[in-house]
Amino acid sequence: MADALVVEELSKSFGALRAVDGVGFAVKDGDVHSLIGPNGAGKTTVFNCISGFLRPAEGRVLLRGEDVTAWPPHRLIPAGLARTFQITKVFGDLTVLENVALAARSRLGQNLRMWRRASKVTSANVEALEILEMLGLAENASANADHLAHGDKRILEIAIALALRPRLLMLDEPTAGMSAGETEHIGKLVRRIAARTSVLLVEHDMEMVLGISDQVTVMTQGRVIASGTPDAISRDTNVQDAYLGALDARNL
Amino acid sequence: MLFAAGAIALAALPYAGVPPFTITLLTEAFIFAIWAMSLDLLVGYTGLVTFGHAAAFGLGSYAAGYFAREVTADFFAALLVAEAIVVGLAVTIGFVVTRVSGVAFAIISLAIAQVLFQIAIAWRPVTEGMDGLVGVPLPKIAGFTIDAGAEFYLLTIATLVLVYLGLSRLVASSFGRTLQAIRTNEERAAAIGINVRLHKWIAFTVSWGVAGIGGTLMVFMKAGTTPMSLHWSESGNVLVMAIFGGVGTLFGPMIGAVAFVFLRDEFTTRFEAWQLAFGLVFVVVVLAFPSGLAGIFARAWRALWPTRS
Repeated sequence: MADALVVEELSKSFGALRAVDGVGFAVKDGDVHSLIGPNGAGKTTVFNCISGFLRPAEGRVLLRGEDVTAWPPHRLIPAGLARTFQITKVFGDLTVLENVALAARSRLGQNLRMWRRASKVTSANVEALEILEMLGLAENASANADHLAHGDKRILEIAIALALRPRLLMLDEPTAGMSAGETEHIGKLVRRIAARTSVLLVEHDMEMVLGISDQVTVMTQGRVIASGTPDAISRDTNVQDAYLGALDARNL
Repeated sequence: MLFAAGAIALAALPYAGVPPFTITLLTEAFIFAIWAMSLDLLVGYTGLVTFGHAAAFGLGSYAAGYFAREVTADFFAALLVAEAIVVGLAVTIGFVVTRVSGVAFAIISLAIAQVLFQIAIAWRPVTEGMDGLVGVPLPKIAGFTIDAGAEFYLLTIATLVLVYLGLSRLVASSFGRTLQAIRTNEERAAAIGINVRLHKWIAFTVSWGVAGIGGTLMVFMKAGTTPMSLHWSESGNVLVMAIFGGVGTLFGPMIGAVAFVFLRDEFTTRFEAWQLAFGLVFVVVVLAFPSGLAGIFARAWRALWPTRS
């Protein structure tokens, strides 16, 4: 079977800065694959190039063997790719349920239906509630998304993406700004989600990444310096020098 | 139910001793209400603020008025021709202008309206320049002439009701909800597979089409139109009506238009600088109630019927 995602020789520059320089890796079907690296390593740029929010200068992106390089998001989603955002971007003035139902209706091809009431698209509402229940947000379903606590907003981000029933879910720093307890909770959720879809995770929290990933790819300064199992990565001296060392130094 | 009762009560006014002058004001107000609701679809639901919405209204007036005078006064024929032209142009320019948002969209829409304004002045063989289009006959429906006054007022109310029901349905549909998602967060909307540009393009076209209906009614009511109907100040007026009433509610812009017409009438008879007086009222209402007159109504409603909200 083809890999869930293959990235080949991806490059992207902003002016003179070569933010991403020949990056390549593959996400195996059913894996939780993490992309890590210090700030400015180019992780988010890679993420945006894959998900259609930036156009790569060079390289290819293959989704289940299909070349989807530079496809816009509204074509990538039917192809099975969904993403979340590092900065929370939920629909603040809509209810929590409606946030997720919007995504479900979008997947069901209802976006251009102009007569039938959205609230009557029962399948979307049922599915949205189901996802909220799985992620523990169901009791907030009728609250405005703006009124959720920060941690819950991050989970709502994931709920919205899941309603698109992706075959590859891309999570952009889902634990940004979270407490240790919340981070652990997200880690468990990600493992649970992995039963449904492959996951590409961009993350800062090293401990969480090593705990929940099947594969890890490490980037610094726009390049991949290592790729492998969490075990191998934590023993890799290159990684220790370039990334873990930097982290340790900061933690001292 | 409440809406139906209100519409019937309004329709009965000419036969309940309300003076013709008030009926004329109400007719104008309800035509503006159609226009203001069409603007609400763009501003309040899609988040596209336009400074050129007079373009759609004025173009509808010119197209329907010219056709009615030169070919036939049949209301539906004139409406159809006006819609073909307004929607045709909206599809074309909408394709371009919906590539941008925010201030860029506002300025480009203003520029387009000003281009139409200049064409209306310069294309004298058709538009008769600054004098404007005159001599538009009374409209006919199925061969019967719709008289000015009560009959035309009823035609306007019927149109307003249909437009309101149609737009209410549209904004509650899946499509309407995706527009609101785009207004709230465009990037997020794209990330759930919404084709943002296509949605904006359609919303723009529908908005222009509905404004064209208002323009058609207006040219029959006034028996003509002038280039001033395309002027930027008119685009400003309709924005004021919508914001005054409360955008994103449809109902708000409708009452905003009625309030605008009656306040303007009241102030122009009393003050030289009526805009100053109206501006003060506008500022006070919008500062105290950012959601406009509709917000005041909603609050009063909740105060009266606390259990029903």
